[in-house]
Formats: sequence, C-alpha cells, structure tokens
Amino acid sequence: MVTFLSRRLIASIIVLLVASYIVYVLTCYSGDPLQDLRTSTARNKQTLIENRIHALNLDVPPFLRYFIWFSGLLRGFIGQFDLGKNIQGQAVTSQLGAAMGSTLQLVTTATLLAIIVGVIVGITTALRQYTSYDYSVTFLSFLFFSLPIFWLAVMLKQYLAINFNDFLQDPVIAPGIILIVSLIAGIAWLGILGGGWRKRLITFGIAALTTAIVLEFFSATRWFAHPGLGIVVVFVLGIGVAFLVTTLSAGLANRKALYSSLSVVVLGTALYYPLNYLFLYPTTGWTILILAIIALLVAGAIGWFWGGVDRWVSVRTAAIVVVLMGALILVDRYMQSWNVYANSDEIGGRPIATIGSSTPDLIGSFWVQGLDSFTHLLLPTAALLLASLAGYTRYTRASLLEVMNQDYIRTARAKGLSERAVVMRHAFRNALIPITTIVALDFGALIGGAVITERVFGWVGMGQMFQQALGAGGSPWPDVNPIMGVFLVTGIAAVVFNLLADLIYTSLDPRIRVS
Amino acid sequence: MKISRLTALGAVVGATALVLAGCSAPQASEIVENTSISAAQNASFVGYNTQTSNGNSTYNSNITYMTTSQFNYYDNSPKLLKNTKFGTYTKVSDSPLTIKYTINKGVKWSDGTAVNASDLLLSWAANISKFNNVKPVTDAKGNVTNQAAVDAGVFFDSVNAGGALDYVTDTPKISDGGRALTLVYSKPYVDWEVNFAVGVPAHETYHLAFPDQKLSPAKEQAAVIKAIQTNDTTVLGPLSKAWSTGYDQPAMPTDKSIFLSDGPYTITSLVKDQFVTLTANKKYTWGPLPHVQKITVRFIQDPLAQVQALQNGEVGIINGQPTADTLSALKAVKSATAISANSASYEHVDLTMNNKGPFDPATYGGDAAKALAVRQAFLKIVPRQEILDKLIKPLNPKAVLVDSQTLLPGYAGYDDMIKANDSAQYDAVDVAGAKALLQQAGVKTPVNVKFMYGKSNTRRANEYQLIAASGKSAGFNVIDAGNDAWPDKLGDGTYDAVLFAWQSTSTAVTATMAQWQTGAGNNLNGYSNKDVDAAADELNGTFDKAKQLTLLETIEKNLYDDAYGVVIFQFPDVVGYSNKIKHVSDAPLSPTVFWNFYDWTTPAQKAK
Repeated sequence: MVTFLSRRLIASIIVLLVASYIVYVLTCYSGDPLQDLRTSTARNKQTLIENRIHALNLDVPPFLRYFIWFSGLLRGFIGQFDLGKNIQGQAVTSQLGAAMGSTLQLVTTATLLAIIVGVIVGITTALRQYTSYDYSVTFLSFLFFSLPIFWLAVMLKQYLAINFNDFLQDPVIAPGIILIVSLIAGIAWLGILGGGWRKRLITFGIAALTTAIVLEFFSATRWFAHPGLGIVVVFVLGIGVAFLVTTLSAGLANRKALYSSLSVVVLGTALYYPLNYLFLYPTTGWTILILAIIALLVAGAIGWFWGGVDRWVSVRTAAIVVVLMGALILVDRYMQSWNVYANSDEIGGRPIATIGSSTPDLIGSFWVQGLDSFTHLLLPTAALLLASLAGYTRYTRASLLEVMNQDYIRTARAKGLSERAVVMRHAFRNALIPITTIVALDFGALIGGAVITERVFGWVGMGQMFQQALGAGGSPWPDVNPIMGVFLVTGIAAVVFNLLADLIYTSLDPRIRVS
Repeated sequence: MKISRLTALGAVVGATALVLAGCSAPQASEIVENTSISAAQNASFVGYNTQTSNGNSTYNSNITYMTTSQFNYYDNSPKLLKNTKFGTYTKVSDSPLTIKYTINKGVKWSDGTAVNASDLLLSWAANISKFNNVKPVTDAKGNVTNQAAVDAGVFFDSVNAGGALDYVTDTPKISDGGRALTLVYSKPYVDWEVNFAVGVPAHETYHLAFPDQKLSPAKEQAAVIKAIQTNDTTVLGPLSKAWSTGYDQPAMPTDKSIFLSDGPYTITSLVKDQFVTLTANKKYTWGPLPHVQKITVRFIQDPLAQVQALQNGEVGIINGQPTADTLSALKAVKSATAISANSASYEHVDLTMNNKGPFDPATYGGDAAKALAVRQAFLKIVPRQEILDKLIKPLNPKAVLVDSQTLLPGYAGYDDMIKANDSAQYDAVDVAGAKALLQQAGVKTPVNVKFMYGKSNTRRANEYQLIAASGKSAGFNVIDAGNDAWPDKLGDGTYDAVLFAWQSTSTAVTATMAQWQTGAGNNLNGYSNKDVDAAADELNGTFDKAKQLTLLETIEKNLYDDAYGVVIFQFPDVVGYSNKIKHVSDAPLSPTVFWNFYDWTTPAQKAK
C-alpha cells in the first residue's frame, strides 16, 4: 500500500513539475506584461516600467525565471512558501487561499450532487431500457450536455432567479401550469415504475393527481412565500424514507431492518419539538455536527438492538435513515427562517441571487446565513450540475447495462435471488468501477468549467483569479504567477483525485490490489 | 479597450464638494435613514492609497473618491470645480510659480485628528523622486543584492515620481497654524492645478511605520513634518515602506484606522473580491452632502451578469463599455434606465514618418512635399463617418466624430478649436481629392500601406476592413498588419499606419504634448515640427486660458496640415440604473458614474 502510494505520488510530482515548467514558459511568452505601461501617457513612464520589471523579475528570461518561482515553492519546506506576486503586487498565496476555498466548495457540492442524481437516474434508465422514460432522459441529458454553460447560466438566472423572484411577489400557480406539471409528473412516474398497461395507468393517475393536489395546496396557501413542513409532513416523509431505504438497503422482507428504520423515524418525530427548542439557542455548524454524531450512534444502537439475521444490515439501514431524517428536520428548521430572510432589508423579497456568494452586510443567525449561502449557491451549482449530470447518467446507464448482461447476473437470478439483491448487490457495485474513473477525471475538468461559471455568477474563486491573470478586456496580459497558482491547485486536485480513485477501486473490486 | 490605467494625479484629484464659494451657512446632515444603494464595478478594490503603483487603479479611485475630500474635482462636462469648504488654493506668484494650499479649520479625519499641512507635506514628499535614495539592484538570479540598503533606505513607490511635481524641489513651507503649505515650482508648469492632491493621512502612515511608539496623532504628524524637513532617512525609510505597501488592503484589515476618511463616507466593510460597503461619515460637513446612508459597491466582472443583477435588484447602478448584446439586454430591463455616453478613450489613426514607408520623405529621396501629399491622400480616404455610423452609433446614438487631437467634445474650447485647426479637410471621404494628390505627387499606385491594429478586437478589425475598402478606390493597397502584440510594437517602424486609442485622464492642456514634441515619450511615428515644439514649450509656461487655446490651435493646425493622423471617435460608455434611484449620470473622466454620488437618492426602506 505504502509503496504503491509513494510510487504514484513521485510519478505525479514529476509530471506536475514538467507540466508547470511548460505552462510557465508558454504563459510568459504569450503576451507582454508591460503592455499597459507602454501606451501610458504618464510622464514617468520609464520609472513605472522599471519598477514593474524589478517587481516581477522581468529582466530574467522565462526559462530561468521559472526557477525563481520554483525556489519560492521549495521555500515552503522552511515555512516561507511563496508563489510570487501578481502584477498589482499582491501575494499570490493570499489570493489563492480564499479563492481555493470558494471554488472547491462550489465544485465539490456540484460533483457530489451530480454523482448522486446522475447515478440514480442512470440506474433507473438502465433498468427501464428503451422506455419512453429512458428516451426522454437521454434526450434531456444530451440537451444539457451540449448547452454551453454560460448560456445555461444566463437562462437559469432569467427563469430560476429573476422570474421566480417575480413569482414570489404573488406565489399563486396558474391552473394551466398545474395541469401541465401534473401530466409530466404522471408520465415520468409511469416510465420509471413500468409494468403492464393497467399498472401504468394506475401509476399515471396516482402520480398526476398527487402532484396536482400538492401544487394546488402550495398555490392556495401561498406556500412559497411561507414555506414550512411541520411535524406531520416530517413524519409522513420520514415513513416514506424508511420504506424506500429499507427496500434498497435490506429488502422489505428483512423485517428487523424495517423496524429499525421505522423506530428511527418515530424517535426523530418525537424529538422534533425538543430539537426546535434547542435551535432557539445560538447554533453553529459544530452543534449540528455533534447532533449528527449522536444521532448516528443512537441509530446504530437501535439497529443493533433490533438485530436480525445480520445485525450490521439493520445498523446500516438505520444509519442511512437517520441521516435523511436529520436532513428533513434541518430543512424544516431552515424553512422556518425563510420569511425573516426573504423579507429582510438586504434581500427585499427577492431571495434567489444571481451574483456573488453572499449578500453584502447581511447579519443574521446561523439559519439566515445558511439560507443566504443556499440562495447564492443554488444557481451556479445547478449550472455545473446540469452540465456534468449528463455524463454520469450516460456512463452509469451503459456500465450497468453491460454488467446486467454478464453471466454471473444470470447465475444470481437463476439461484433465486430477489431482483433488489441482484441489482444492488451484484450489478451496481461492479457498475461503479468505471464511474469512479470518470469522477476522478471529471473533478479536474469541473474546476476548469468553473472558470466560466464563476465569472458569470460573480463568484470569487480560482476561475476569477485565473481570468484576471489572463488579462482584462481580452488583451494579452499574462500575469504568470497567479496562473501558476491556479495551475498548481488544479494539478494537485487532479493528482489527489486519481489517487482516491485507485483506493476506491480496491474497496469495490476485491481482485484489485494496490501493493 | 483601455490602453492605460489611470495615470498621474488626475486620477487622484477627486473630491466631494459642490462649489458654493463664499456661502458657508451651517450645514446639517442630509442623510436619510435606512437608505442604501448598491452599485457594481468591474474589478475589486485592493488598496486605499491610490498614489502607489500597486494602488493606482480606477477601481480603487472610485472608492476613495467617496471617502476623501480634495481641493478640486471634475464634473461631467468635464470641468474642474473647486471645493472651498474643504480648503483653498491660490497662485501667489507666476515666477517662480508659487501655490499656497490651505485646509479649512474643522476639517477632520474620521478619528477626529485634524487634516492639516502634515498630510499635504507627506503627499508632496511621497509623490516626488527626490527622497527615494535607493533603487533595488538584482543579480542574474533575480535576488535583490542590496536588500539591507533597500530596507534601510527610502523608497516611496509612487506612480507620480518623476512627474511634474518633481519641479517643486525645495521643501514647502508650512504656515497659518499648520494648515497651509506653499509649493514653489522651480520651472513653470501650466497644469499645476491637477498636479497636487491630499493623499493618505500622515499620522496614520507614521503609525503604520512605527506601531510600537504609540504617540498621539498630533505628535505623529509633527514627527512626519520633522522627518521630511530634516530628511531624516531613519524615519523616512520605514515611513516610505508604510506609505507604499501599508495601505494595500484587499480585505477589511483588523486595524480599521487604515481606512481613515476625510470624505462623505467611510469604509465599514470590505470582503475580498466581493464588495465594499461605505457608510455616511457623520462628522463630514466640508463639501456636498450625500443623501444615502449606505453605498455598497459590488465587484462583478461579467457585463451581462451585471445587467441581470440589476434586473434582479441586487445592484442599483452599473456602468461600463457596452457590447450590442449587453446594451440590448439592458434596454429590455423595464425596471431600469439606460443612458449612453462618451468615455475618455478615443480611437485614432496615426501615420509613421520615419520607417522608409510610403509616408516617410526618405522614401522619396527626402522629398517632404511628396510624402505629405501621400499622407494627406491617405487621411482623406479614412471613412470616419461610416465607422462612426456602423460601429459606434448602435452603442451610443449620441456619438459624434472627434475633430481635435488635443481636446474631446465638451472640453472647454473644443468648438473654437475644430473651426481653427484645419481638421475640416479630412471631414468626409474624398476619393477624387486623394487620387488627385497621389497623381500630383507622382507616386506609383497602388501605394502599399502596412496597417496595424489589435487583431482580436472585433471592432478594430471591422474598422480596418472599412478603411481598406475605402483606400482601394483611391489607389491605396491597405495591407492587413493586424497584431495582438500591437502595444509592444508601437513605434518600432514595422507599420505605416496604426489604429489605437489613447485614454485621457485629466483636462491638463499639456497631457498630449509628449505625442508631438520631437523625440518625446509618446511620439511613436517620428513626427518633428519646430513650430509645434516651440508652441508646446511655450504652453508649459502659459497660464492664460485664452493664450493656451491659441497655442493648442497652432499646434493642431500644424498637425492636421502635416497630416499627422486623424481622431475618429470616443469609446461608448453606458450607465444603467434602477428606476428607484434618482440623479444618476455619467461623466467621461474617472470616477465616471460615481462623480455625483452625493446627488443620488433612493426611497428609504422600512425601519427595523
């Protein structure tokens, strides 16, 4: 293991070094860092030029200047890490620190969501191959895949932010829209669940009717202006979650696992009011983390107590349910703060933001700040998500289809395993191996894609830093040090994710050994 | 495209007052509680001292314009107005040029310390090159070999060092109880009015340099004065370092006194690369009084994102150079108003006269008349009106042709200038005239002209196409020498004609002289004319406005008769603002739309 890791690391570092040298030299030769001063009308032009030459060592040819930059990198070992300065004289390290945080936050959220949604959609389309559902998803994923992200972003801003905010001024849904959305929902569920004509018709009817009732309820109570779940909805949704998770994780036949999940839901509902009282006290991320750990321990204990054929299956199922149950309670709590947030002076009733990562000068509780991050993260995450979703959906579908045609799947079916066990235990796990490769590669690409997303959403991250370094107004102005800073972070992220992928292979596929 | 960042003190000359000379009735605050306006700018605020080479950017000046007071500032004509509530300046004598600057009693920094001559004296000392006693020297590896000397030495990293303030060689005298400073220029300098401004506070700079001494502000001010007067390098060394780098603050510093204000607003919050919030300075009475309690400036790079943020109510005011797309998007926003205006960058064509090309007399064996005829013929075929109509009018319907090399439309004297400067000969495309000139000169057609412009700049590529098409009809073969490295190649003789823009940063009359005087820094085409040189020299010492204009007319008449080049248009600028905000307008010079921030009003939000 250690040998493998160190071998991989050393190889990656060499690749990074060679690449950084090439990027450095190419960047230096791509334009003139003195351009703006050469056309200056200032009387002391010469002095200004000399000052910049000195500050950026422009008198040293790029082939050698690289080593000045590189020595700053090496000085990291003696605690003087230095990536040079940008053209305005700010240290790149301080610039990079903040930029890295926000970009990675954005990209990680988008990647995680894209994996979850993409894999779920991929599995369902593979299992319902060549149905109308499959064709519709294929169509949509190719559509989003081929849309340029800046255009997608502008559309999202127009419809999800500006028009939605307009809608919030009077959140009544028109009957026509309710009708259309209900029909679409009915068709989608019909496609996902499949079955004979009779079953399809029933599915369609139930799904469409439920959607219509829920939407009409939202419209009549102006729910979007005062969103909230309440204890009853949390409980009902919790029961649904318990059944769904048990079905996928253990199978409904495993009664002990089902009882574990249901116990967790009942306990969560019982704690609904106590928790809400607790949240009246100043809450921080740490409070939530501690609560999450306690909840996981309690859920584990419940699963252990119910036991069953395999105790760990119950424990696992209960743990998954408790995470989702906790999320429901948290979402409910956030919704309670929505009104305060949306109607504050700073927001003025237009909560979904098109720009930046926070509202200037918004002061509020943990919940209000959380909502503010959410309304700002929503659009850029959605843009990145939609763009990378297509890939994951298609790869999962293809990979699962291939696995489903293997002999061992036939064997599994032949020996009488339930369809759930065949799909979740035998097929899905194997289908994940190629997806892991894609995710690792995609993460680096997503940081690259974030350059445009960040610019369009005024999000201050490495993308913005990179763009500024490339030059304002499209003029060639290679500010090499920030570019190298961004290159380093992206390169290291790519290397780290490839290493992670290697490690995940070993846990997914027992045939692979890393030593 | 901006070709230069803000340069010279023109950038810092910004202030906050409406001129009500002699009228000093007591003023009450006009701030309306619970009002706030959010504006957008393209890049971040990164430093509070806009006189340093790191801090000198439009985006920093926009902010400091609202947090500082100055003796004078530009309105949107642009005309230089005086703020006599802050202080006064008078010319004591013409020879030697002597200017006395006096700050009014009661003008204070936001920590309560008086603004006085110590601040003026520091601004003088920091913006000249006299006190800078060491230059860093580097070896082949780029290491500074004299680091110890640099650390011990004095180096004010000012953008103005080496400029005209260097003419003030003797340490200026302080008078009027420490409120006045008298500058004596060793050489006459006509643009002295925009050559000196108040900079960062002296006592805060001293505090940054010597944080452990814990002196009172008054003693800190005295220490700065003493160090400058006695040229005490042990104090000036750390002081220069603090002045040069201490104010580079892209995020809110823990020591908030770094952002001391003597203007209508103080910086109360600054989040790196996202926004800066300015809150009304309660002590401020010495200038025009703002109406809005809080101004937030958000940093948004993407122009379309700015438009959508305006539509979504996240920002109230945006401005910038429009493209056809952003302009139509902005016009489609019902809740906002768009106004088009001219910016201070102007596009022009110059002809090279020293590269053995078609416009150089040397090509014709020194026959200056022949080369002149070819130049005149070329300028006659530049389709200025067509370029304006096709490329600029869609973005700014009010755009007009610029017919002067030294003044922009709206500047004092522009109308008289264009009548007197002979620019009319290139007003319209005159193919017949051009052909006649070429024939008369007896040159072989087609005449090859290597034409350089910024290749990836679509607008310039289109301009080239129009010029080339027009030139063809008169016998010019305009060769595409478009190059993205054009700024690097300026003046290297590889092109015969060039298209680019200069950016005007002040109304200083001598600002453009470096383009025409023989051998001067921005004279990129080898132009030389004794009459122009003489007039430019005379202009430096001419204080009479009417006389200045006569000299400028002489210079321009020579330029146009010598077929130096032609100016075409000013870059279009657009301002969009929410209909909830009143009294927003654009100005050509920095700080553009921010120029009258004190007039902005907006309805109050509900009280909390």
